[in-house]
Amino acid sequence: MTFLKLYINSLLRNKIRTLLTLIGISASIAILFSIFSFNRGFERNIKKETEKTGLHFMIVPSGCPHEVASLILHGAVSPKFLDMDITEKLRSFREIELISPIIVTQAPNIKYDRIDILYGIEFSILKILKPYWDIEGNIPTNDYEIIIGSDIAEHYKIKIGDTLNYKGVQFRVSGIVKRTFSQEDAYVYISLKSLQKLLNKEGKASAIGIRIKNIGDLNKITEDISNKIPGIQIVTMSQVVNSLSVMATSAKILSLSIAIIAIIISAVGVMNSILTSVFERTSEIGIMRAIGASKFDIFRIIIMENILLSILGGVIGILFSVISSTVIEKFLKKFLFYLPSGKLITFEFHIALVCLIFSLFIGVVSGLYPAYRASKINPIEVIKT
Amino acid sequence: MIEIKNIKKIYKRGAEKLYALKGIDCSIEKGEFIAITGPSGSGKSTFLHIIGCLDSPTEGEVIIDGINIKNSKKKDLINIRRQKIGFVFQNFYLIPGLNIYENIALPVLFSRKKNYRKKILSLIEDLGLSHRINHKPHQLSGGEMQRVAIARALANEPEILLADEPTGSLDTENSERIFEIFRTLNNKGLTIIVATHNLDLAKKAPKVFKFKDGLLVK
Repeated sequence: MTFLKLYINSLLRNKIRTLLTLIGISASIAILFSIFSFNRGFERNIKKETEKTGLHFMIVPSGCPHEVASLILHGAVSPKFLDMDITEKLRSFREIELISPIIVTQAPNIKYDRIDILYGIEFSILKILKPYWDIEGNIPTNDYEIIIGSDIAEHYKIKIGDTLNYKGVQFRVSGIVKRTFSQEDAYVYISLKSLQKLLNKEGKASAIGIRIKNIGDLNKITEDISNKIPGIQIVTMSQVVNSLSVMATSAKILSLSIAIIAIIISAVGVMNSILTSVFERTSEIGIMRAIGASKFDIFRIIIMENILLSILGGVIGILFSVISSTVIEKFLKKFLFYLPSGKLITFEFHIALVCLIFSLFIGVVSGLYPAYRASKINPIEVIKT
Repeated sequence: MIEIKNIKKIYKRGAEKLYALKGIDCSIEKGEFIAITGPSGSGKSTFLHIIGCLDSPTEGEVIIDGINIKNSKKKDLINIRRQKIGFVFQNFYLIPGLNIYENIALPVLFSRKKNYRKKILSLIEDLGLSHRINHKPHQLSGGEMQRVAIARALANEPEILLADEPTGSLDTENSERIFEIFRTLNNKGLTIIVATHNLDLAKKAPKVFKFKDGLLVK
């Protein structure tokens, strides 16, 4: 005979009630765990994705806020343009390994009655810029060929060799990028020159991505460039990562508040369930007192029932959210304007630990009152012969 | 062993004072077997609760083995209850869900003793419950349930067994069997105090206290 056996016995007495309470806790802990890991995954994947570009910093027109600069890298349209002359000046910096001008814009696709996002890059450095791409078909060899993201291909039912028409110019699809699970899937990649022509912005770029030979030179070179080239602004990749995370802050706060509310509701649920069971068992608790249990013993039995229930609910919740992470991610993606590619919800030990501590907290807080009530039960009042 | 000096128990209901016990003096020696009789509301249960340290008298003193209950801390009272006293009630009050062995072992769990398994098993055997050891309370007959309750009361090897209407829910045959068990236990030296309505059974006790309106009349 052990105390543990006593707790489990009480919980098993009303299996349906215990089950329902468990579902409540599991759901709230599942939400908490998903949100925590989602947020972790968000930052981790932004970092990874940003590193994947192979660039160390971006040059953007001055006055362009960090947020926009960050988004350019991920496909947002900026109204400001840089002069391509800068690239000539940049070539004089020996530390620079790669210079990649980019234009991002939107253009109507009349045939399909949609607006497409056109991403202008130099195809010659595509392999270096997007090394993780798996391309079906070929990288364009001339300015009238394009490659498209898998979402576009699916949506328009386009095969390699088909054409798309922007502003009266025909472009032949030479390749389709296999799914990357990011915004990239929805872009049309076009040669920088063609896009400049389409926009009448010859010799201009939205941003210039730079890779340097030695990352240790980063501070020195960004300072040098800002001093020597006027009218520009430099955004490093860590700033990109930061501003993308900052943009997600409100979503994080909102989601965490939802989790907190869910937790409060489930805590009230646990309290209600245990309180009911205390009321049902008054004579039993009274008899325990009569045969030698102290008030503290009773308090401990009730609060431990609560804690056991909450921790079990927490474990189930964590398992549930790991198992159903794909569905949860899809759901969350609907509410966020930008998401990095890759899996966001994964099992991380310390997040699981934090969630378990939360469940323990639910157990203790919601158990205090029922346990107090139980410890106040007077044996002589309930034992009537 | 137990000395009771002029104890009174008064309940207040609004401005009205209700006397459950109106001043009782008596002493109980180790190894005595006492039956307490009297009509409902005569104070039998209150008297047992006070001796069992579940309740305290409004006035007067209870001294158990030289310890004055009035001056004792709650913690000490719990220890007295755990070490010296076993309780048996009319409605058995076994814990559902726990099997017979676990029910009987419960007081030992609360008194934090170790290595009690053998003793519990021999208790179960003494009370003729060996075949029921893994059964749950709802599978037992009334007589068996009361024997489990007695075994539970004995689990901590108390000096005093207090029984409040132990046969109130049992038929004659089972009632007699319970009394038979009490007598056997008493012969082994256990002090037994039984409150009962059943006068036939009360007569079998060597000593009878008769309660009436909160007073000990005989």
